[in-house]
Amino acid sequence: MKGNIIKYPRDNIDTDVIIPGQYLKVHDYAELATHAMEGLDPDFHSKVKEGDFILSGKNFGCGSSREHAPIALSHCGVKAILALSFARIFYRNSVDGAFLLPIEIDQDAYDGISEGDEIDIDVSKNEIKNITKNQTYKMKPFSEIIGKIIAAGGLFKYKPDQD
Amino acid sequence: MGKTLFEKIWESHIVVEKQNEPDLIYIDRHLVHEVTSPQAFDGLRMNNRKVRRPDLTIATMDHNVPTTNRSLPMLDETSSIQIKTLENNCKDFGIKLFDINSPNQGIVHVIGPQLGITLPGSTIVCGDSHTSTHGAFGALALGIGTSEVEHVLASQTLWLEKPKTFEVRVEGKRKNTHAVTAKDIILSIIKNIGTAGGTGTVIEYRGEGISDLSMDQRMTICNMSIEGGARAGLIAPDEKTFDYLRNREYTPKNYESLVDSWRDDLKTDSDATFDKQFILDINDITPQVSWGTNPGMTCDVDEPIPSPDEFSNGDPNQKKGAEKALEYMDLKPGTMIEDIKIDRVFIGSCTNARLEDLIEASKIIQGQKVASNVSAMVVPGSQMVKKQAEEMGLDKIFTDANFEWREAGCSMCLGMNPDILSPGERCASTSNRNFEGRQGNGGRTHLVSPVMAAAAAINGHFVDVRKLDLN
Repeated sequence: MKGNIIKYPRDNIDTDVIIPGQYLKVHDYAELATHAMEGLDPDFHSKVKEGDFILSGKNFGCGSSREHAPIALSHCGVKAILALSFARIFYRNSVDGAFLLPIEIDQDAYDGISEGDEIDIDVSKNEIKNITKNQTYKMKPFSEIIGKIIAAGGLFKYKPDQD
Repeated sequence: MGKTLFEKIWESHIVVEKQNEPDLIYIDRHLVHEVTSPQAFDGLRMNNRKVRRPDLTIATMDHNVPTTNRSLPMLDETSSIQIKTLENNCKDFGIKLFDINSPNQGIVHVIGPQLGITLPGSTIVCGDSHTSTHGAFGALALGIGTSEVEHVLASQTLWLEKPKTFEVRVEGKRKNTHAVTAKDIILSIIKNIGTAGGTGTVIEYRGEGISDLSMDQRMTICNMSIEGGARAGLIAPDEKTFDYLRNREYTPKNYESLVDSWRDDLKTDSDATFDKQFILDINDITPQVSWGTNPGMTCDVDEPIPSPDEFSNGDPNQKKGAEKALEYMDLKPGTMIEDIKIDRVFIGSCTNARLEDLIEASKIIQGQKVASNVSAMVVPGSQMVKKQAEEMGLDKIFTDANFEWREAGCSMCLGMNPDILSPGERCASTSNRNFEGRQGNGGRTHLVSPVMAAAAAINGHFVDVRKLDLN
């Protein structure tokens, strides 16, 4: 999976800046998407392209349980968030609705990847290639459980392995 | 080896358990509100599914209801549609709804315990991160997203990864229990463990500092577990818990026999171990005030605001975060908390809008007036809290002091209804999140206890409530 990076080099990006509360009344996902990241970066909507990835620091998606947060990002075309760590509800929401991939990275990847870099994520090898800089980093593998929900295509398609 | 309270509740709710798979957990109570449920009901309709246990599902409207006169039509059309949608969904799927005109309407985490819907040892979910509140009763209460809401509506179960266990032990006695509150304890815990300190864990709050607290105070503690990153917060039930739930509207008929079994079963064994531990000594704890843009950015009321270097302990991202926070909050390192002037005061939210919160705040303001440059409001957590407060004459104390006295709802905690800050306005707020824009675009939030908020309203700036005569 290839895409370009939009980097927010900070910790604790919360769901209120990803999609401010006033838009939780919006039922139309396309409209919701126009307000994604509005609380943090008013230019986000003009720069995001289909297939982009967001890179950020620790505790991404902390705060509210609003599934509107991964929904808004995914309807902007964002396919994955690369972060040093995630808040759990955001993490699970991203996977449950198959909205986007929450990928935990290490400090090398965080420091090495810059805004605009072209990245190739290979989940099967737990590898992130930086095509722009010709570097390779490890991603933290999904837990077996989360990997199965992702492979199934979300919570409603998931079934435990049969005996 | 012994088991923790969390492990006992978890194990008693497993429906399916397999190696290397999530556990399928049975859900005893599902609380529903207007904001995170519409897509879930749409999903049920699309797949021709019913609500499996409408009798275990309870709904109310709280996030975007107006807190002004409810006999008037709602001005915000999109809020009005969301509220109407919940009414229709509850009607179509046979779910009990406490609507905007119900005497039981209120913030979902305030009404659950008040009605006796929240029970010790049960599993509770709601599409809201502050569901952790119900853990104060020894319930395993999890905030979930809308996909999971749909899954619970359809099956009354959830696929969950078993969280780790985290003991937060609160030791000692507060010197002034009116001035230093449960809010100060939980803010102090988050300041120490950090906003991600509890990630992937269920916290059990233990120790003398917790058992000394009333149920209203315990709910304040568990409410903010999510602000420390935890999946849930728990407190083992005791006689205070059982007394609180006795004779509520929905308390089960066989309550006393349930209490007998809870008394025996719902505690962590003495030889149980936790994956993680943090100990807070509260003998010298002071009122807490947040200065930044997450709840971990908090300091003592008698401390100056830290510099980004002091705050960050050498972590560059923490330093940058603190710099950005100070810029957003328009504050300078070294400023004393008591010198910070405020424009607005909000006493409300699922954290601090219960009867005891309002009683304590009213003692501060009795016979005084809100400072001329400040506008202040009280939004009771539920219509029942509002009624009880009015029976005690608290509304009169607040309105005589020039506070606005509103109808119940989430209100200015999250800025979904018209109760919002204007850009640049600074608010002393009893809510739970000081994120950028949380209370309105450009608004600046300081998290404090109800007594600290009340004292700030009267003085126009923060004051150390330990200096006031509160007895």
